[in-house]
Amino acid sequence: MRFSTLLRKELRECLPWMLLAAIAFLAVGGFFLRAEAYYENIRHYSRLSPGTAVDHYRLTYYSILNVTGPWLFCLSIGLGLVLGIRQFWIPNFTRTWPFLLHRSVSRKTILAAKLTATLIAFVISIGPVWVGFYWYACRQEVFPIPPTFRVFIEGWIFIMLGLVAYLGTALSGLSTAKWYTTKIFGLAFATVIIVTTLSQWTLVGIFTVIAISVAILLSLIFDSFLRREF
Amino acid sequence: MALWIQILPGSSEPIYVQVAEQISKAIARGELASGDKLPAVRKLAAELVINPNTVARAYRRLEQAGLVTTKTGSGTFVSDPKLRRTDAADINMLTERMDTLITRGLNLGLKAQDLISLFERRLAKFGNKSKKQEDRKKRNE
Amino acid sequence: MNEIVLETEALTKYYGSTLAVDHIDLKIPRGCICGFVGRNGAGKTTAIKLMLGLLNPTTGSSRLLGCDSSALTSAIRQRIGYVTEGHRLFRWMTIAGLEKFQRSFFPKQWDDKFFADMIEYLNLPKKKKIKHLSNGQRAQVSLALALAPNPELLIMDDPTLGLDAAIRRQFLEGMIELIMRQGRTVLFSSHILGDVERVSDRIVVIDKGVLRANCSLEQFQKAIKKVILSFADSAPDEVNIDGLLHCKRIEKQLELTLIGTDDEKISEWAKSVGAENYHIVKMNLEDQFIEFTAPANHKRLFQWEER
Repeated sequence: MRFSTLLRKELRECLPWMLLAAIAFLAVGGFFLRAEAYYENIRHYSRLSPGTAVDHYRLTYYSILNVTGPWLFCLSIGLGLVLGIRQFWIPNFTRTWPFLLHRSVSRKTILAAKLTATLIAFVISIGPVWVGFYWYACRQEVFPIPPTFRVFIEGWIFIMLGLVAYLGTALSGLSTAKWYTTKIFGLAFATVIIVTTLSQWTLVGIFTVIAISVAILLSLIFDSFLRREF
Repeated sequence: MALWIQILPGSSEPIYVQVAEQISKAIARGELASGDKLPAVRKLAAELVINPNTVARAYRRLEQAGLVTTKTGSGTFVSDPKLRRTDAADINMLTERMDTLITRGLNLGLKAQDLISLFERRLAKFGNKSKKQEDRKKRNE
Repeated sequence: MNEIVLETEALTKYYGSTLAVDHIDLKIPRGCICGFVGRNGAGKTTAIKLMLGLLNPTTGSSRLLGCDSSALTSAIRQRIGYVTEGHRLFRWMTIAGLEKFQRSFFPKQWDDKFFADMIEYLNLPKKKKIKHLSNGQRAQVSLALALAPNPELLIMDDPTLGLDAAIRRQFLEGMIELIMRQGRTVLFSSHILGDVERVSDRIVVIDKGVLRANCSLEQFQKAIKKVILSFADSAPDEVNIDGLLHCKRIEKQLELTLIGTDDEKISEWAKSVGAENYHIVKMNLEDQFIEFTAPANHKRLFQWEER
């Protein structure tokens, strides 16, 4: 009951941003999917001489879904930053931490509500849009080259990178140190992880890097949230 | 009977003294007659927006002066003037205060007669006390 | 009745190398309204946040309702009300929304009727968002939120700062109302000595992080007084009387501010230094506080040792 109250509060605070991200992704991605990507797709398809054995991944690379990928990446990182700032920076300025923290729940519960809210915000905003795009791009009657499943997974990897960005922002926001010392760590760590992930090729490698970094960030966040002064 | 008490925070008199003084003045003027019940501590505290302990302390002070008596369980009542003790110390205190006033008055150039009439005029302000009490008695009968 | 609800032991807090709270030993018994006063930057907010476990002490410890501040359990927190400095509430929430939010943390304690009555009495717009309320209205909401769960211990950090007289009075009424219920305790910090005088029966004075007084208001008011002594030719060079706070010379007169010195001692001392006459001047609480916390000027005749 107390957790759900906290969760509702956090979700309500995330709501404008998750809606904004979802709508932006839907609009921009949808535009490219409908207009530009369609012709791209046809153009690359027409270049292939009939009967050539097609490297499936190369096809995927030209698949129409690929055009929306960079947008998903940017919006996901952006959403992560914004939610991190909303949840862990803004209360420093509005000085609402004391009001939030002095209540009959543990700090752990308060933090868990924040993290859960973000997870939900990611999964139900840009997530479904991505699923929708995948479904739309798979319609062979519209697009001659369908995306592979790997492209779909890569989209979810972008979404996870958004969560990494969120956790990094959160950690930096919780730090009371100076910018030029350890406060920057959270953001810097997230950046390194994102770059590392993008340069990884195998899905196993990618998921390992993400899993380890999320575990590290989460433990650091819990540690500093429970011990921090407000 | 309406008891009207004004609190002046920031005065050099502590609030419990202010409350006690105003009640004792009301008793002297006959606004509170013997046997009248003082408001309950909590009620007066809420009304005046002061700490209940302050009201209780004021009542204790009045009790020590013999102006009121507290009956456990039923409240605080204005005591019978006949039962109030006036000892030598009280008379001494009064004499001293009067001396101060007389000195001031004479130094201001007032004559003895002026002082007496001034005293009488002021006393008249308290003078209807006995009359009020008689009225009350009649009503009760 | 003498149960201690709030206790600190050598509570100390450094911010970097700045000492904010210096070895405070405080004991507040149950059932009182305690005015917590000190000048700006004296360390009141820091002390309150330390007590509530929002800050970690550098050394020392504190306990609320018998539970260590650094490990306040949910059950204990539920019994403690806290009004934050500046009444910072979630700006996007409506009053009704905040009520719902706050209520769910006090499942059995929350007094719906009290809250509704108070909102009506204060004429607050229930559907308005906090960010659209005036400072005064926000403070009123914050008060209602703090009182509705009927807390055993209510801690308020300068709740009346910047509020008009009418709203300040409502806070005082709220405190009186709460204290009338059995076994409630209130600690509130304030700069308005008139308010403290009105509702407190206990006063805690802190100055530059040091606890200077923790006694009943009556004791405090009795203790500090001013004595003006007149001398025939000149005042003595040395003033050594117990409890001397400040000393001022005005030609042939000596104006002393004393603490805890009884009238007999004053009379004895006046005789011993050959004063022509002397009189004791009563001071109001505000003057007492100012004199009490004014820095002792060591260039003057004496050095006052803190006791």
